[in-house]
Amino acid sequence: MSARVAVIGGGEFGWGLARAAERAGHEVLMWSRRPQREGSQRVRLVDSLPELAAAELVFFAVPSPYIPALAAELGLHLDGGHFLVHISRGIVGEELETLSQVLRTRTPCRRVGALAGPLVAKALLEGAPGGGIVASRFPEVQEAVCEALSGPTLRIYRTDDVIGVEFASTGVGLLAMAVGYARGMGLGPATLAIMASRGMSECARIGVTLGGRTETFTGLAGYGDLLAAFADDGRPELAVGRALAAGTPLAQIGQQIGAYVEGLESSRRIAAYARRTGAHAPLLSRCADVFEGKVDSGQALAALMGRQVGEE
Amino acid sequence: MFRLLSRPLRLPAFLGPAPRPDDPQIFRFNSERGPIIGDVVRRVVQHYAGQPQKLLYVLNEAGNAEVRRLAMQDDLEASDALGAWRRLVKRLGKMNEDEKVQELRRITGDMAEDIAGNFDPRVYALATRIVPGVLTAIMKPSSLPQQLLGGFRQLGELVSTEGPIEKLRRLARIGTLVLVPTHSSNLDSVALGYALMREDLPPVVYGAGKNLFSNPLISFFMHNLGAYRVDRRIQAQLYKEVLKTYSCTMIERGYHSLFFPGGTRARSGMVERRLKLGLAGTGVEAFARNQARGVSRPVFFVPATLNYALVLEAETLIDDHLKGAGKSRYIIEDDESTQGKRVREFFAKLLQLRSAMVLRFAEPLDPFCNPVDDEGRSLAPSGRPVDPASYVKHHGVATIDPARDAGYTRELGEAIPRVYQRETVIMWTQLVAHVLYRWLVHMTPGFDLFGRHRLRGHKLPRAQLEAEVGAARDRLRAISAAGGVQLGPVLRLHSPAEIVSQALEAWSGYHTKAIASEDGDKIVIGDPNLLLFYQNRLVPFAEALATAETAAAARTIAAMGGGA
Repeated sequence: MSARVAVIGGGEFGWGLARAAERAGHEVLMWSRRPQREGSQRVRLVDSLPELAAAELVFFAVPSPYIPALAAELGLHLDGGHFLVHISRGIVGEELETLSQVLRTRTPCRRVGALAGPLVAKALLEGAPGGGIVASRFPEVQEAVCEALSGPTLRIYRTDDVIGVEFASTGVGLLAMAVGYARGMGLGPATLAIMASRGMSECARIGVTLGGRTETFTGLAGYGDLLAAFADDGRPELAVGRALAAGTPLAQIGQQIGAYVEGLESSRRIAAYARRTGAHAPLLSRCADVFEGKVDSGQALAALMGRQVGEE
Repeated sequence: MFRLLSRPLRLPAFLGPAPRPDDPQIFRFNSERGPIIGDVVRRVVQHYAGQPQKLLYVLNEAGNAEVRRLAMQDDLEASDALGAWRRLVKRLGKMNEDEKVQELRRITGDMAEDIAGNFDPRVYALATRIVPGVLTAIMKPSSLPQQLLGGFRQLGELVSTEGPIEKLRRLARIGTLVLVPTHSSNLDSVALGYALMREDLPPVVYGAGKNLFSNPLISFFMHNLGAYRVDRRIQAQLYKEVLKTYSCTMIERGYHSLFFPGGTRARSGMVERRLKLGLAGTGVEAFARNQARGVSRPVFFVPATLNYALVLEAETLIDDHLKGAGKSRYIIEDDESTQGKRVREFFAKLLQLRSAMVLRFAEPLDPFCNPVDDEGRSLAPSGRPVDPASYVKHHGVATIDPARDAGYTRELGEAIPRVYQRETVIMWTQLVAHVLYRWLVHMTPGFDLFGRHRLRGHKLPRAQLEAEVGAARDRLRAISAAGGVQLGPVLRLHSPAEIVSQALEAWSGYHTKAIASEDGDKIVIGDPNLLLFYQNRLVPFAEALATAETAAAARTIAAMGGGA
C-alpha cells in the first residue's frame, strides 16, 4: 500500500503530526536525522529522503534553517504532483522570505502551504482537542491536510492567505517570547494586553507589505495563536522568554529548552526590515533589542512607555 | 434580434490557398472557426445547465446589464438590441428550464460569433509585404522611395528585437506560445505584430478592444489577421465567460496567442508589478484540459517588455494617472493615438532616433513558472526535466480543476512582473528623466507630489546632470551585469554628455510641453508630470542608483511605487 503522508523531522511536532495522521487512518513515512523513537504499525521510519516521494503530501517539521537544504535534496525526487506543507514559524533572509516561498524555489512543487495556529505538539501527540489553520492557494492542498490530520479532536480551518498566515505565525512566535519575558519580569495584565495588541498590529502592518491580508492577523493564525500563548500552552517560546528574563545567556537557553526557537533570529530580521522599509514597528524593534541583549528590560520599557500616544 | 456589433468584411473563402502542413495553426482557422464557436457554446452551456439557480442568475444578470448599458448608449446599434434584451428579462420568470437553456445557447452563440475573429492567409501575405511600406509612409512619406530600395532599413533600425528568438521559433513548432508583454501604448500591438513578422515568428491571435475596429481599414486587417473583438463596455458575466472560453479553446487548439496581462496601458509609465493575468490565465486551463483528454501539447508563456524612448500617449496617460482616473477610464478614446496629426508627429520624431523602440522577449516559462529548455522541456530548480503534466494531476490523474488553476495563475501573476523588471530595457530618456526628477525631489523636501508638480523652471547645471547621469549609468551597468535589468543601446554605447543631449533632442518637437530644455549651461525643468512618466520605469532601482546626497530623494521616489 502506498503511503499518503510523509513527515520530515522527528521532533515533537513531527511526531505529533505523524500520530495525528495515524489516528486519521493514514500510513505515514517519517524521515529524521535524530535518534528515532519507536515507530508503529502505521508510522514507518525511512532511511533516505527520496523514499518520502512515495507520499503525495509531505510535511516539513524541521526548524527553518534546515528547510532550504532539505527541500533542495528532496526536490530532486519530487514533481508537480507533490504537496508540500511546513509548520515553521521562521522566515528566511533580509527580505523576510517565507518558507512556502523557499519550498517553491528549491523544489519543482507549486502546490505548497503552511500549517499554523494554536497547534501544540503535546496535544497532537496525545490526541487532545485542538485546532489549527492550513494556508494554501490550492484548495487541493487544504483538503489534503484536513483529510490527513482532522479527526474528532482536531479541527483544521482553511485559508488561501499563505503569506499572511506564515508571517502571523512568525509574529506570534516572537510575541510569545515577549509574553514569557514580560511575565518573567513581573509585568501585569494591562502591560501584557497592550504589548499583545500593539505587537499584533505591527505584525499585521508588516505582513500586509509582504502581501498578506490584515484579517488573517485577527484570526486563528494571529490572535488565536497568541491567545493560546497567553494561556500558557507550554510552547518553547514562553520558556525562552522566561529564561531571558531570568538573565540566562542566549547560548545556554537553547540547551535548556531542548528546541530550536525561531523567534530569536526572526526578531532581528523583522526589526532590520522595519528599519529599512520605514514600517512603523517600535515594539517589535524593542523586542529584538532586548532579545539580542542590546538593552535591558527597564530601558526597553522606558523607551516604549515614553513614546507619544497616538490614535489606535 | 440584437446585433452586438457589425459584421466584418471578408474575402470569398473559395479563392484562398490551402494551408501547408508546417504552417502555424492560425492558417487553418477559417476551417475551424465553426467548430471552435460550437465548442465555446457547448462548454458555456454545460457550465450553467443543470444548475437552475445559476442559470437563472446568469441570464438575469446579462439581461439587466445589457439593458442598462444599451439604454445609456442610446444609438442605432443599441436600439436594435435593447428591445430583445428587455423582452428576455420580462419572459425569464415564465420560462421553463429547457427554454432558458435554449436562450442561453442562442445568446452565447451570438456572443461567440461576434468575438471570433478570422484569418485569411492572403491578407497575411499582403500585410507582410505592405506593412513596412505603410508604416514608413505614415512615419516619413518622403523617405518611402529610398526605403523601398533599401529594404526598409530605417524601420528595421527603429525597432530592435532582443531575446531568445531562435528558441521561440523552435518552441512555436513544439507547443503553443502565449505572449504576455508589458503594455504602454496603443502602438504595442502594431510593434509586436511587425516584430513577429520580421523575426519569422508565427502570427498570434489576440483580443483587441472593439474601439480599434471602428476604422474600416484597420478593422479589415484586424479581422483577417486573427484578432478577436473584445467589447469592454459589456459587463455581463456571461460575456466574460464566453470570452474566457473562446480564449481557452484557441490555446487548447494550438493557436499562439497574445495578451496584455496588465489589461490596460500602464498610466504611470511604471512597469506592471501586479498582474491578475485575466484572459492570459486561460493558458493554464487550456494546458490542463488538453492533458485531461490525453493531448500533451505544451503551453509556453513568453513575457516580453516593450520599451520606448518616447511614448505616443505619454501626456494623456500621466495626466490620467495623476488625476487618479486610470482605474475608471479603462478605455480612453481621445488620446494621442486617435489623432492622426499627433501620430504623424510622433513617428516623424521617432524616426530621427535610432533604436527608439526595443522589444525584448524573455526566456519562456511553462504554466507553472518553470523555465523551459530549447526542446520545450520544463526544468526543475535543479535543472533536471520535470513533467508539466504532473502539476495538473491529483492522485496520478490529470484533472480539470478551475480552483487549482486559479492558484497557478496567481503564481504566474507574481512571476511575470519579476521577469518584466529584469527584462526591462532602460532607455536613455528614462535615465535622464530619473536624474532630473530625483534632483527636483531633492530640491523640494517636504513638498507633496502635487505641490512639487506645480513647480516649473527649476534649473540644474548641465555638468552636474551629466555627472549624475554618468554615475547612475555606471550603477545600472552593475545591476545589468548581475541580471537585474537591461540597458538600451544609447546607454550602453554613449558618453553621459551624449546621453543628455540625445534625451533633450528626443523630448523636443513632439510633446506639446517642453519636458526639459537648455538655458546656457543649465537645464531647465519644464514639465514635472512628463518627467515623472519617463522616470517611473526606474522606480524599482531608485535607491540603488542614488548617491549619498540624493539618497533621501531616491527613497521618496521608491516609496511612490504604488500601482502601475
